[in-house]
Amino acid sequence: MAVNLSTPVLIVDDYKTMIRIIRNLMKQLGFTDVDDAADGTEALGKMRQKSYGLIISDWNMEPMTGYELLKEVRTDEVLARTPFIMVTAESKTENVIAAKRAGVNNYIVKPFNAATLKSKIDSVFGE
Amino acid sequence: MAAPKHAAIRKAANNLRKKGDISLVDVLTLAEASIHSMKTFIDSLDSSIYKEFREIADYIQKTKQEIGHLQAHDLKSKHIPEAGHELSVVVTTTEEATTKIMECAEEILDADTSDVKAYKELVDGKVMEIFEACSFQDLTGQRISKVIETLEHIETRVGRFASAIGADDSKGPVSEKEAKRNKRKKDLILNGPALQGQGVSQDEIDALLNF
Repeated sequence: MAVNLSTPVLIVDDYKTMIRIIRNLMKQLGFTDVDDAADGTEALGKMRQKSYGLIISDWNMEPMTGYELLKEVRTDEVLARTPFIMVTAESKTENVIAAKRAGVNNYIVKPFNAATLKSKIDSVFGE
Repeated sequence: MAAPKHAAIRKAANNLRKKGDISLVDVLTLAEASIHSMKTFIDSLDSSIYKEFREIADYIQKTKQEIGHLQAHDLKSKHIPEAGHELSVVVTTTEEATTKIMECAEEILDADTSDVKAYKELVDGKVMEIFEACSFQDLTGQRISKVIETLEHIETRVGRFASAIGADDSKGPVSEKEAKRNKRKKDLILNGPALQGQGVSQDEIDALLNF
């Protein structure tokens, strides 16, 4: 399945700088419809108002973490199939395994580069 | 010196047992021997209690000195707030510098490339701004050094205090707030960034997930 660059993407991170970095990388990759949210709760609200084709989320946020967001998404009938990439500094094996069990589509450890982000997005969309 | 005293009491008691009628002199002799013996006992008791009280007083004095060396008020009112302020400035400074660098990069990416001379001028100017923004590293390095110094200051005093009073670490959180924070970290697997050499790499994650 080819990556549809007009797919709405939601970036979830509590650091504006990181949102800006990912936004710029997504722009360079050709994505045209990119929104952002500062934590899981805000992201969930946005996801219930607009249909996103990809979620790129940090793990460590308050009040709702990316891990909680992932679990919420996977148990919501409407949102359950939304591709979800975790982009995080959490790099313990237990985090990776927990994310996999919760249904993450891919996992990127910070700091990362554009090539890694591109390859993981391609992988999620089956390229 | 206890044995002769005991012998005197034993002798006086035996005399009393042997005699049919007991004189006042006999009783007084026994009483005198007993008092002598008890006086020595009470004297020795006073001396050991005094010694114990002296040791306790010395220990209290030493602990008070160690508490003074801890400089808890100084730590609370000066060192820790200053370290917190330094770290806040580091966060602000790095954020400002990163924003500046990103703005420059974004302007370069969005620039019109049709006029090569104007484009080169813009790129040269933005690259200089990026270099200038990178000067934050020197200042943040110095601020972080001050924070490390504060941590060492606290470590020395707390370590000295703990060993001086022979403190054992109690287990578990010291407040409800800390208990809640610890529970959240455990439940939501919030480990934070791993130190260099710890944690798993991107390749290891890919292998682990088989993506």
